[in-house]
Amino acid sequence: MDRADAEARRRAALAIRQKLLPLLKEIEKGNPPKLVIPKRTFSNTNFDKEKGFLVMGEETLERHLLDAGEARRFMQTILMASIIYQALVENEYPTIRDLYYRGKHTITYMDLAGKVKEENTWDEQDESDAVLRDIEVMTDLLREEMLILSKEKGKMVGDMRIRSGPDVIDLSKLGHGAYAIESTPDLIEFLDVNAEFVLVVEKDAVFQQLHRIGFWKQYKCLLMTGAGQPDRATRRLVRRLNEELGLPVYVITDSDPYGWNIFSVFKVGSITLSYESERLATPKARFLGVSMTDIFGDKGKKPYLTAEERKNFIIKAKDADVKRAKDLQQYPWFQTKKWQREIELFLEKKAKLEIEALVGKGLKFLAHKYIPEKIQGGDWIE
Amino acid sequence: MSNAESYRGMNVSEFFAKHKEVAGFANPTRAIYQTIRELVENSLDAIDGSEEGRKTIKPHIKVVVEKVEASGRGNEEKTWCKVTVEDNGIGVPYTVMPNAFAKVLFSSKYVLKQARGMYGIGVKAAVLYAQSTTDSGIDVVSSTALLEDVYSRKLRIDTLNNEPIINAYGSWKKPTAWRGTRVSLVIECDWARARSKVLEYMARTALIAPYVQITFQTPEKELYIFPQKTSTIPPPPKEANPHPHGIDVETLKQMLAATKAKTFREFLERDFQSVGKKSSLYFIRELKKKVKEIKEDTPPAEVYQKFNGLLSTIVDMMKTFKFKPPQSNYLSPLGEELIVTSLKSMYKPEWAAAIRRPPRSYQGHPFIVELGMAYGGEIQPSEEPLLLRFANKIPLLYEVGEDVSYKIMKEIDWRQYKVEFPAPLVILVHVVSTKIPYKGVGKESISEVPEVEQEIRNGMLELGRRLREYISSKEREEEVKTKILAVSKYLPEIARSLVVLSKEPHSWKPPKPGEEKEVLLGLIKLVSSHVKLPEKESSEEVIRKILGVKKSGQG
Repeated sequence: MDRADAEARRRAALAIRQKLLPLLKEIEKGNPPKLVIPKRTFSNTNFDKEKGFLVMGEETLERHLLDAGEARRFMQTILMASIIYQALVENEYPTIRDLYYRGKHTITYMDLAGKVKEENTWDEQDESDAVLRDIEVMTDLLREEMLILSKEKGKMVGDMRIRSGPDVIDLSKLGHGAYAIESTPDLIEFLDVNAEFVLVVEKDAVFQQLHRIGFWKQYKCLLMTGAGQPDRATRRLVRRLNEELGLPVYVITDSDPYGWNIFSVFKVGSITLSYESERLATPKARFLGVSMTDIFGDKGKKPYLTAEERKNFIIKAKDADVKRAKDLQQYPWFQTKKWQREIELFLEKKAKLEIEALVGKGLKFLAHKYIPEKIQGGDWIE
Repeated sequence: MSNAESYRGMNVSEFFAKHKEVAGFANPTRAIYQTIRELVENSLDAIDGSEEGRKTIKPHIKVVVEKVEASGRGNEEKTWCKVTVEDNGIGVPYTVMPNAFAKVLFSSKYVLKQARGMYGIGVKAAVLYAQSTTDSGIDVVSSTALLEDVYSRKLRIDTLNNEPIINAYGSWKKPTAWRGTRVSLVIECDWARARSKVLEYMARTALIAPYVQITFQTPEKELYIFPQKTSTIPPPPKEANPHPHGIDVETLKQMLAATKAKTFREFLERDFQSVGKKSSLYFIRELKKKVKEIKEDTPPAEVYQKFNGLLSTIVDMMKTFKFKPPQSNYLSPLGEELIVTSLKSMYKPEWAAAIRRPPRSYQGHPFIVELGMAYGGEIQPSEEPLLLRFANKIPLLYEVGEDVSYKIMKEIDWRQYKVEFPAPLVILVHVVSTKIPYKGVGKESISEVPEVEQEIRNGMLELGRRLREYISSKEREEEVKTKILAVSKYLPEIARSLVVLSKEPHSWKPPKPGEEKEVLLGLIKLVSSHVKLPEKESSEEVIRKILGVKKSGQG
């Protein structure tokens, strides 16, 4: 086993023990045991302007064993901690699904009427996932740092060599395929890189098209996709590329509130999981497009689409899109002139556009005109 | 004879033969019920009256109802029943058998006593009914403790002269020390309709006489056994003189005629209760203001003859004069303990309580009200409380809507006592008195005499408060237990998890099953010391029960 892996295990196991072992002492002393857990609520989520991403506030909650309403969750939390701990010391790599199955069993007890009753430690994975998040915030460790694997869907290609486990992988020699970003991106070692920026494409299909046309070679970039809502590993890797290699990060999504939200997750983190942002957010990420002004133009800016193309490509926004846009309009990190203009235009036109529409205008248009022109012209939104 | 009483008679048997409904014999359904009731109550009185024997003999009443062939002309469509009731009570001396069973209004002398039968007709009405429906009399077999023989008589009532007719005599040596009475009658009856009422009567009688074993065999040959629930027997009622407040002109006349006192003052002191040397003197002094001729030493017979027209004045004055209140120590209530025992064994409730109100009197008649209440357990929930009414230890089954207890029960807002209907609630009301204030001759409901009503209400409210207390404490306890359950069921899982976490990474070995025991015991102790039950039962026991964890040292 490599050193990075072993070190990560040692650190995680220690953190978990330090947080939970004091309970044994309290029980011995006869004190009612409790867990102090930072609150993962929206109200305890703040946007840190200086850092540029969402951070968790100071609020904590106490979970008491002796509170009838909290006892089950108390048990689940300790159970989850013990499963993770055991997996760490036994050198395993459980997925969150594995954790769910390992912890799920039936407890048998007698009710007050003397009837034998059964109850599962947890029923749905929602429950085990929720306590896993509790443990992440309690121990200040992300699941990746506890060697817990998630489903991978992020991909990357580019002129770069990395070490993953015992192997060196050349990300420029993968043919038509791509490197599947591993669940534990912190264990990746960057060896050498020949790129000037990172381009993250929301959609897997567009990623493949740009890959085949040789975009990354021609423009010296690392091409990535999170295939929709990005997973944690993709976000972590984007952050590392930006932070450790100093590469600017551009993000291309559909031109609609859903796409903006994906960008927002890359940039400041997820609202409901703000504790991850510290390690997953890339506050310097730039929204390259597709922007509303790309479609409709603006003062001193010519639109990329003709009136005819607009007529063909634009999709009418739905009520849900409008509602989402109004929510985004309020968020502190969208309080810039450019973003407000974006959102206003959307609310005015009630129009959406997919990246594929630009491909419809021609893949070459996207690869050789739209993207390079926007990057060179500094036509992005922070 | 220590238990012998003096008797006197009065001719009204013809009246009762013609007005059966007055005594509860209106139709064949009521008649079978009433016959059984009169005989059983006689037996109960015989058991209550046999003071010395009760200590050694387990009181027992056997009731058998059999269908018999209707004989005679045109009787084919009617159903006849033979009712036999046997007890091991005091027994009836053969000399008094004819009068006791075959002469109407043959009753004890003018002393008062809490007794089941009130009008002195009881069993005789049943005999009259038997005579008029099946043309048969009553068979009596009896012996007392002191007699060496058992005596039998076949008796009828001569309705024209109200005299007993003895149709057959018999006697034989007792092979054992048997004593008691067995009587049987054949009457026209409607058993099918009466059946449920009779069974209810038996159950309720067993409830109010828990010291007696009652067995009952139906015409279908089903045997119901109501076992003795306690060997504690309440002291029997004692005889007492009337109180001057409770007197009427007719009674006063008869007392004046029968007294052995030589003077009017002596008559007052001897033949009445609560009249002493002072009160008799003051009373006569007061009386003289209205009836001048009366003196302290006027012989009672003279008062009876000379002042006949003024007797109502004397009675009025007796009713209003301030004598000491009537004594109640010769009344015999069942007692709180027996009521609770009875309710518990009959209804298997989770809670039962009883209360005896202090003795009081109305119109010169002392009375005691006692009440019982049972809640939960195996009691079937119903839309209103199940009200069990008793008077002088007999169950009242009819006219419930007319009864003062029912009225009070309906007036109470039971929600104030944490009872939401349908609820499993039984209320027992027992009134004992030398004169029960019945509403009618049917003796099935008690009327709204203010003094009695007040005692019943106060008693019912008091029991209601106790019930509320019980329900509240049960709710509190339930709350705590629910909490204990909600927490405890997870303790083994928590203990196991903590043991995993307690193992050092460098010397890691997965815990063995059972290794968490110590932590688990610590957790059990911790929970039980912080979540405490209000009473008795320890939280730890509850937790151990929930988890199936035995106390250490017990394996």
